[in-house]
Amino acid sequence: MSDTDNMAGVKWTARMDLSDTLVDEGEPIFASAIIDGCDPTGFAYRFNWTLDGGGEGGSSGKPQLDFQWGFVPPHRGKFLITVDVFDLDESTVSVSRWVTVGKPEEFTRPPLPSPDTPTVVAVNDVSMVFNIASEQFNSLKEYFIAAARHELKFKEFRALDHINFEVKRGEAFGLVGTNGSGKSTMLKIIAGVLEASEGTCTVTGSIAPLIELGAGFDTELTAKENIYLNGALLGYRKEFIDEHFDDIVEFAELADFMEMPLKNYSSGMMARIAFAIATITEPDILIVDETLSVGDFLFQQKCERRIRELIETDGVTVLLVSHSIDLVERMCDRVCWIEKGSMRMCGPTDDVCAAYKNMNR
Amino acid sequence: METHKTEQELTGLSQPATDTTVEHSQEQSAWYPTSKRDRSIIAQLVSKDFKLRYRRSVLGVAWSVLNPLLMMIVMAAVFSSFMRYNDPSIGNYPLYLIVGNTLFNLVSEATNGGMGSIVTAASLLKKIKINRYVFPVQKVLSAVVNYLFSLIAVAIVMIFFQIPPSPVILLLPIPLLMVTVFCIGLSLLLAAAAVFFRDVMHLWGVVMTAWLYATPIFYPITILPDWLAAFENFNPMYLFITYFRDLLLWQQMPTLSLNIRCLIISLASLAIGIFVFHKNERKFILYI
Repeated sequence: MSDTDNMAGVKWTARMDLSDTLVDEGEPIFASAIIDGCDPTGFAYRFNWTLDGGGEGGSSGKPQLDFQWGFVPPHRGKFLITVDVFDLDESTVSVSRWVTVGKPEEFTRPPLPSPDTPTVVAVNDVSMVFNIASEQFNSLKEYFIAAARHELKFKEFRALDHINFEVKRGEAFGLVGTNGSGKSTMLKIIAGVLEASEGTCTVTGSIAPLIELGAGFDTELTAKENIYLNGALLGYRKEFIDEHFDDIVEFAELADFMEMPLKNYSSGMMARIAFAIATITEPDILIVDETLSVGDFLFQQKCERRIRELIETDGVTVLLVSHSIDLVERMCDRVCWIEKGSMRMCGPTDDVCAAYKNMNR
Repeated sequence: METHKTEQELTGLSQPATDTTVEHSQEQSAWYPTSKRDRSIIAQLVSKDFKLRYRRSVLGVAWSVLNPLLMMIVMAAVFSSFMRYNDPSIGNYPLYLIVGNTLFNLVSEATNGGMGSIVTAASLLKKIKINRYVFPVQKVLSAVVNYLFSLIAVAIVMIFFQIPPSPVILLLPIPLLMVTVFCIGLSLLLAAAAVFFRDVMHLWGVVMTAWLYATPIFYPITILPDWLAAFENFNPMYLFITYFRDLLLWQQMPTLSLNIRCLIISLASLAIGIFVFHKNERKFILYI
């Protein structure tokens, strides 16, 4: 019955047929093995998939007689599909082919919003004035001495000067500027942490702030306890965290460290947890501030992929603040450039980024 | 669409979204409505404080019971040998001590925690929009939780001296609520003051010490000169302690006058606290 001669190697060859090598996200891929050179009756097949660069993968399980198999890739990316063919003498032949899901490298920025798109963030003539001297009175004595000398008039420092812009729903909006130019102050006003001295800032919808990862973590608590604490601070329902706890852990890839106090974590590990919590849901507005700079490159890619996913979701508006002009150029449709507290330019990414780069030279 | 509407009304940080797709509304349920959000934050913070308090101690939460007991033993030993208070109006001296001392500790712990709460939460307040009152209130509630454990110590003393409780003990939640309200008001006031002048935090320790000696906690009120005894009628600490002693030690109905005074003091404290805190809270962020 045997068609193969083990001493001389296998006499048959295998190839793999794929339903498509380029599929959209969420679409299934069907693979079928084709055997040439013999009658494949009784052959067993096992299909595997791995993500380009490793990390994720799966298989159809034990070798089975079924030579066809289908699966839905979990997300965008390049996947290697492999089939292992076992003949009756336990000889094995493996064949692999690549499948690209959703053209990840050709991510397009969201289109410029049409005029009738609803506004989610309206920054209307916002100015922020800090009284520089006010920082210095930390004790009653100093205060009264200064009061007695009539030195209580403060020097004014305008961190933001008459800023105006609107962010529409579904946009990825970038804020650029050099250090100390007021970007973070602007973000804090949008996030509702600071109150503008003049002007108004109207925000519609829920905000997930990624202003500084891990704000509100208590390092004495375990990672698990911190997930619940941080979730509560962000306003999540407890039941919601219960439901998505496994997703958070899986995204952070820290399943083995959940019972460890956070003080034993590295800053990268902490950032993973924080990012996972903040992006587990789809907020109306996601604020991202320089958070991608922590964590290893693999995790950075993962974060970027997650932010892109959110950008592509229609309802989510992303506000991105970064020194990394590359990141802003890759992701945002419009950019606002703030320099020394005043708005230099606001418009389509290419125009603003070109001007910003010229200034840097 | 109807469920979608209600979802929207429930959510919203500042304003409900003007239009949201139906699929979106499912995600919206991830958030608490604004009113419930504060409660869940307070609950999480209180449970955090509780977990951390005795983490890595062998006896753990038992310390909340043991601590007041040991304190009482020390004080009873010291004061019953050095100063002999043979005032029959005191009743059982150890019980007299522990009731007063635990309540004083509640006020002390609540106000100290509440006072520093805004300054301590600075890193959080600078990054996430959270209602600021959450922090002082949470510290007071943490202290109340701790106090509930020390009531077990009080019960142990009552069992040890075979003092059966009388039905008035059922009124205990009333003074407890009033003390909590009093502490919340005081903490809001102190927290706001501490933001602008850190000196308050140092000064408060002195005030608490003075308050400890000015209140008949380990001595009977009868040893005070008349003018001081009159002052005690307006000392909140003494009034609350008297209320608790009425219920636990002397087992009598607190007088109407005592009830009214306690109520007025706690409400006044809350009103002043809220007023001062609310008036200044917008400026906090610039000083922390």
